[in-house]
Amino acid sequence: MVQQATPRDTNDRLAKRQAVSFGRLRKSIGRDAPLYLLALPGIAVLILFAYLPMSGLILVFKNYNFNDGIFGSPWAGFANFEFFFSSMEDAIRATRNTVMLNVLYMLTGTFFSVAIAIVLNEMRSKWFVKITQSVMFFPYFISWIIIGAILFSLLDYDKGILNQSLAALGLSQVDWYSSPWLFMVILVLANIWKSAGYGAIIYYAVLQGIDTSYYEAARIDGASRWQIIMRITLPMLIPSIILMSLLSIGGMLKGDLSMIMGVTFLNPLLLPTTDIIDVYVYRTAIRSGEFGFASAITLYQSVFGFILVLVANKMAGWYDKDSKLF
Amino acid sequence: MPKAENKGLLIFFYVCIAVFSVICFAPFVLAVSGSLSTESRIAAEGYSFWPRGFSLETYQFLFGSKLEQIVRAYAVSLTVTVLGTVSAVLVTTAYAYVVSVKSFRFRNVFAFFAYFTMLFSGGTLPWYLLSTKYYHLDDKLIGLIVPYLLSVFLMFLMTNYFRSIPHEIVESAQIDGAGHLRIFIRIMLPLGRVGVVTISLFYALQYWNDFYLPLMLVTDERLYTIQYLMYTMMANIQFLASGNAAQVGGAIIAPPLETAKMAMTCLTVLPIAILYPFLQGFFVKGIVVGSVKG
Repeated sequence: MVQQATPRDTNDRLAKRQAVSFGRLRKSIGRDAPLYLLALPGIAVLILFAYLPMSGLILVFKNYNFNDGIFGSPWAGFANFEFFFSSMEDAIRATRNTVMLNVLYMLTGTFFSVAIAIVLNEMRSKWFVKITQSVMFFPYFISWIIIGAILFSLLDYDKGILNQSLAALGLSQVDWYSSPWLFMVILVLANIWKSAGYGAIIYYAVLQGIDTSYYEAARIDGASRWQIIMRITLPMLIPSIILMSLLSIGGMLKGDLSMIMGVTFLNPLLLPTTDIIDVYVYRTAIRSGEFGFASAITLYQSVFGFILVLVANKMAGWYDKDSKLF
Repeated sequence: MPKAENKGLLIFFYVCIAVFSVICFAPFVLAVSGSLSTESRIAAEGYSFWPRGFSLETYQFLFGSKLEQIVRAYAVSLTVTVLGTVSAVLVTTAYAYVVSVKSFRFRNVFAFFAYFTMLFSGGTLPWYLLSTKYYHLDDKLIGLIVPYLLSVFLMFLMTNYFRSIPHEIVESAQIDGAGHLRIFIRIMLPLGRVGVVTISLFYALQYWNDFYLPLMLVTDERLYTIQYLMYTMMANIQFLASGNAAQVGGAIIAPPLETAKMAMTCLTVLPIAILYPFLQGFFVKGIVVGSVKG
């Protein structure tokens, strides 16, 4: 996002540096003063809600108590880390769940988004594309708590649509809300439902930009529809797919607390697969006030998250120089 | 022969898309149908896509005995959404303008200052402790607004829109003696209005749908947003059962727990559903502009 300096830019800057005089510098600061003013509110928000929380990570070396706060609490050395390593099982479970769910979201989400985009791209009926695209995009606008409420009417043991259907087919009913591994499938499906239409918009836009002469040439050569999709359309999407996937690696340790809260209501029976890092921190620290372990796992999430972002960016850079983010 | 094959595949495609569209739409039918059913029949027979014993008793119950809470939650959500969106758009466009001014020597510093927060984050816990203990945002309306005032993603999206405004217009204004404030307000905001509308909509959607902030910061029932009210209803069914049984038409009825959840779902989605047809184009454009390298 940070723009590369173009040669002209650099030349300008060099020239400026050579000719810099105190008066000119003062003049430019005077002219730019309103800019600092305009940026000020944004800077304040970034400092308050992003940079100070980073410094709050020193919490991990503290024995937190409410009265002294983050910065005033007594130092605890590495006690919190010892705690962290002594209950590794929790940390491993939370990490596993976070990464597992994110990988599943990424794979299934990409597959469905790409499939929808490709299929829409084949259609010549403009109104059909328009209507279905709108319908498929709509779930993106719905909050997880609403999705949770609707899911409940599908999955409830006695009253849910799913168990009614199973019963009608003569199959035994399933207790979805006490089957953590089955519920993971539900989470993945819910995620597809909510975001496939959104993802499809991106890939569909890429497809709209393809030169139609490729298709004409293929058709003249007698290629079938399926061949055209596999040999032209899909290859055209591969760069975007790889790029989006690489970039999503950077977010592998981030979890969506709202999603888990909205869909499972923190159901303890489901925690074996839904206890992602963010849920764990919320449960132990914010709900129960046990800060030691949560602070260690927060630091670990931040640091490894940062490393993942750097790695993902590096890989994106190898793949395609222009797609590097910074 | 290839013709037939092509046709078959295309029909298969149409069927797939139609089925997925129906799946995307069906849950809302389920919610509407549930809200229009009678509690007793839902309890006995389960949910259905067609109302079981069509009745408005659930809405009568909600608007009768829970009216105050619902109206207040709606008001809180609306206030947060409107105030939040307006302030966030001001903060964001101002920052985006600074980053987009070509002649400003520190613009890359400002861009990176924002961008770095996308790379590294202190996580939920320090954020929570600072917000509650140091900024005292808990149980305050402003706490539901301030943390979201600058989305770095939307800021860069806005920068893109500003960069697409022809530089000559800005230059000629500068020659006429206009300063940055005037250029920002009189030229950039009006000319970048498509971008302004787009990021406004993204912010409005985020504020309306959010229940992360209430989850973290709100315990006071008077500050429940509509989403958080919904959450407390789902997480704690006692909420509905508490209080007096509603009196409808002179007869005392038991609170309709199941159908009320569906009715609340409809009430929460309704504003979005009404506005969606008019506004989705902006979202589509924003997503496309945002994903094509910011």
